[in-house]
Formats: sequence, C-alpha cells, structure tokens
Amino acid sequence: MRLFFTQLGYELWKLFARKRTHIGFGVFLVTEVLILSLLHLPKVQRSFTNLLHENGYLWKDFNTGPTVAFLMVSYTVIILGGLYIALIAGDLVAKEVEDGTLRMVLCRPVSRLRLLALKYATCIIYTIVLVFFIFGSSLLLGLLFQGMGKLFVYSPMDGVFGIFEPREGLLRFLAGTGFLAAALLTVSTLGFTLSCLNMKPATATIITLSILFLDSILRTIPFFKSISPYLLSTNIDRWTYFFDDSVSGWSLAASLLFLFAVNGTLLGIAAAAFQARDFKS
Amino acid sequence: MIRIEGIAKKFGGRPALHPLSFEVRRGEIFGLLGHNGAGKSTTIGILLGQIYPDSGQASIGGCNVHQDRHGALSRLGALFEAPAFYNELSGWTNLRILTAYSRPLPRKQLEATVEMVGLSGRIGDRVSRYSHGMRQRLALAQALLPLPEVLILDEPTEGLDPEGIHEIRNLILRLNREHGMTIVLCSHLLTEVEHLCPRLVILREGRRAFYGQWREGGVRRVRLATDRTDDSLALLQRQGLLTELFPGGEALLSAAANIPEIASYLVQAGHRIEAIGRVENRLEEVYLRALQDVKEESSA
Repeated sequence: MRLFFTQLGYELWKLFARKRTHIGFGVFLVTEVLILSLLHLPKVQRSFTNLLHENGYLWKDFNTGPTVAFLMVSYTVIILGGLYIALIAGDLVAKEVEDGTLRMVLCRPVSRLRLLALKYATCIIYTIVLVFFIFGSSLLLGLLFQGMGKLFVYSPMDGVFGIFEPREGLLRFLAGTGFLAAALLTVSTLGFTLSCLNMKPATATIITLSILFLDSILRTIPFFKSISPYLLSTNIDRWTYFFDDSVSGWSLAASLLFLFAVNGTLLGIAAAAFQARDFKS
Repeated sequence: MIRIEGIAKKFGGRPALHPLSFEVRRGEIFGLLGHNGAGKSTTIGILLGQIYPDSGQASIGGCNVHQDRHGALSRLGALFEAPAFYNELSGWTNLRILTAYSRPLPRKQLEATVEMVGLSGRIGDRVSRYSHGMRQRLALAQALLPLPEVLILDEPTEGLDPEGIHEIRNLILRLNREHGMTIVLCSHLLTEVEHLCPRLVILREGRRAFYGQWREGGVRRVRLATDRTDDSLALLQRQGLLTELFPGGEALLSAAANIPEIASYLVQAGHRIEAIGRVENRLEEVYLRALQDVKEESSA
C-alpha cells in the first residue's frame, strides 16, 4: 500500500508539473474577479435589487461575500469546471500513450490495472482539488470584496430560492462543495474512460465535452422533462438542493448513487479496454 | 532465458508476425535484425507484454509474459528506439518516477547508474533541454534500474556520436561479462551486431529469415590459392563442388562439398595448393542472403 501511495505521489507530480494543469485554476481566478467587477455595474445591481425587492428583501442585506460566491460558482462551475476536468481527464492516459511515456512505464513490473487505478486516483484528486479551489477562491474573493453576511441563493433552473444566516450559509456552501466534487467525478470518469480507448487526447476531451454539453442542452428542452432525472447535468446540478429545505436527503443520495453507478459502468469499460489494448510504438 | 514460441500477430487483418520461435540463452548477447516493418518492434512489444499475440507465447526466465507479468518484467530492463520522457521534469525525477513502478531504489544506486552512462553533470536538467544522445543515455540508465537479468536494447546507439557509440558498446560488453546480463540487441547497424552478437535472428516481413550462429553454418564460404587459382576455381565449379565465385579467390561450397574433398580433387587434377580455408561469414552477406531466401519463399 505504501508503494501505491509513492507511485500516486509521482503521478500527481507528473500531472502538476504540466502547465495546462494549472490553466483551470488561473481561468477561474480571472473569471471570479471579472464577475465581481461586473457585479458593481449599476445596471447589474439594479437587476439584483429588483429581484430582491419583488420578494420583499433589501439589496444591502444580501450584497455579501457568500451570496456573491454562490453566484460566481453556480453559473461557472459546471461549464468551466467541466471543461478543465475533461481536459485533464482526457489527457491522463491518452497523452502518455501519444507521447510514448506509457510504453516506458509498461516495461516495468506494474500491472495494467494498478496503473489504471493510479491514474484514476490522480483524476479524482485533481477534480476534488479544482472544485474546492473554485469554491474556496470564490468565497475568499467574495469575503474580501463584500465582507461576511447572509447568503442569498437563487437558482431558477432548479427552482431553488433561499436565505440563510452567515454560519448556516457557509455550512451549506461547504456541503454543496463536497457534493459537487463527488458529482463532477462523473465528468472526470467519462473523460478518463475515453482516454483509455484508442484515441487522441484532444478527441477524448472533445467527446467528453460534447456529451456534457448535449446532456445540458437536452435538459433545457421542456418536452424532455420526463427524462431529465436520467441526465448527468440534472444530477450534477443537485448540489444547489443543499440550499433548499424542501428537498430530502434521499433525493441527493439518489442522485449521487445514479452518478456513481454511471462511474462504475464507465470504469468497467475503461479497465476492459485498457487491459485488452495493444501498445505499439 | 527468453523463449518465444510460435508467436503470431495480425494488425487489422494484416499479418505483422507469422508464427515465430526463437530462444535467447542466459548470459548471451543476442541480435534481432530486420529492416523497418520486419516485425522487430512487434516481437519486442510482445516480449514486454505490451502487445498481445494472436497465438503462441513469450516467456522470460520461465515466467510467461502475459500470465505472470510481474515475474517476467521484474527481470527485465528495456530501452526503446525513441525513448520518451516527461520533458518538463529533470532527468533525475524521470528516473525516480520510472523506477518507482518497479520499486523505489536507494539514491546511491541511481547515482552510480547515472555515472555509468555518463550523465552525471546534466542529470538535474530538464529533459526538454537534453540532446538526443543525452536522452539515449537517460533511457539506458532507466533500463539498468534496478539492475536487470535481461536487457532489451532497441537501437541503443541511435543518435550518438562515434565516441558515444564506442562507450555504449563497451558498456554492453561490460554488463554482459561482469554481471552475466542477457542482452537482446535490436539494431539496423550490422557492424554493431557483428561486433557483439554471435547468435541472432533475422526477420523479414514478419517471418524468420535466419536464426542461429551466423559466423558458421548457413553460408559456406572458402578462400583458395593455388599455382593457377582462377583455373582451379573454374574446375571446381564445373564439377559442382562450388556454387558461386567471388573476387580474391573466394567461393561458395555447394551443399554436398567440403574442404578436404575439394583439396583432394585439386591435388588429383595436378593443381598445387598454396592455401585453402574457410572464410568466416560476413554478417552483411548472411543478412542479404537470408532476406533473399525469404523473399523467394514468399513469392513461391
């Protein structure tokens, strides 16, 4: 087991030594600063104020760090987060095959399944680190610019509307982060599985994103509401239910179970494909 | 030490290897020859467990490569023709990463190997800054860590300067003599194989064109000097004792003939023999003849 963690450490070293691994972190910081700046535009503030007024609340009470952080995260994490997760996951195996480094590794007495487990563990760690970075940096920037205060949550697509005291708001924010990190593993697993098939890294990433975007598009078509519970994006977006008291914990657990079942199936395909593949020069 | 038994492989319906068998003995330097597309890389890929054969099996030290991967590959080090590394990391980190997939090794062992391949001064540099020759040396270092029983070298001197080629050749000999290492040398440089490998297999279009000791057997070349060499050679050829004549008094013995027989025939015919003896095969001739034979066989 110790050797596994040593090898995992090296896998992470390889991953984080590459510049493209850091792009996601950089882009999110820029995006957050951009959204924060745009929120200060009078027209944007007016729109926000009107929404609160319609519900009998005052803008000054909810122009807070946690509210701004939720705004930044909820509108970016699936699309941008999905993009960078797909980029890294799609690269993990396919890029090493393309570069020829995987052949160097496969000369060693390490089983293919162990190698796959190491790569997938790296993928999981990257996803969790990125999601927590997105949430952490949003919250930090929000608190720095707007200060602490109540959390106002509004997510029209999921029908979530809520107002929380600062402490409760932060706890729900943290719980939502954990859920989303676990849910986004499905995007990682999809990219990772495609990366294990015989295709170029860019192809694996593009297919992953295409599936993710197509899934999201299907979700917005009203006639497909009946199949919506079986769409990935529906279940990934359930993290916003942490801000809705009317939703039971079972509903969240069911979404996670659905996503984990998808992950398990994809991993089975990845393992079978990787195990049976010929690695030529 | 290495046993290849009837391995065959097709890629997309096209045969890359026809059933191929050969054996590499413990402690020998064995050559694997053939031009591009001959099946060398497929053979090595199968031997390293990276390509699954359609039939047959490969084993190293008695361990089947595909059934007991750990047992087989823990005895082996390999160097590829175009070694790939993690370019953004240093040579040293690359070595640590690659060896961790076998087992983590003490720093001293890594340093000694780096010294042995002549990369000490630059091992801390990023691999992206390495020349082709330096990458080749790094590839050799990783293949030697941990010290394997079997070393597979695919074009090990590719891209090296003459001094580097000489160093690597000496290193191969030293590893073989001092550590009893079994070495499989794949090279398109016949001189390289000629110097190092007494036994070899030659592949052409996925078929075995030659296998065994190349200096003896196979081609039967003699050199003859008499008081009238040209006449003597012509006479022997007319009698069917020689099949082909070369400049410098050299000729090929027919399958049925041998040296004492042609000597006795010449003496009886009144020729005075000044010198007669077997000429060691030249690898180039063995190689070309073997390829020609396979070509004729396949066209037939």
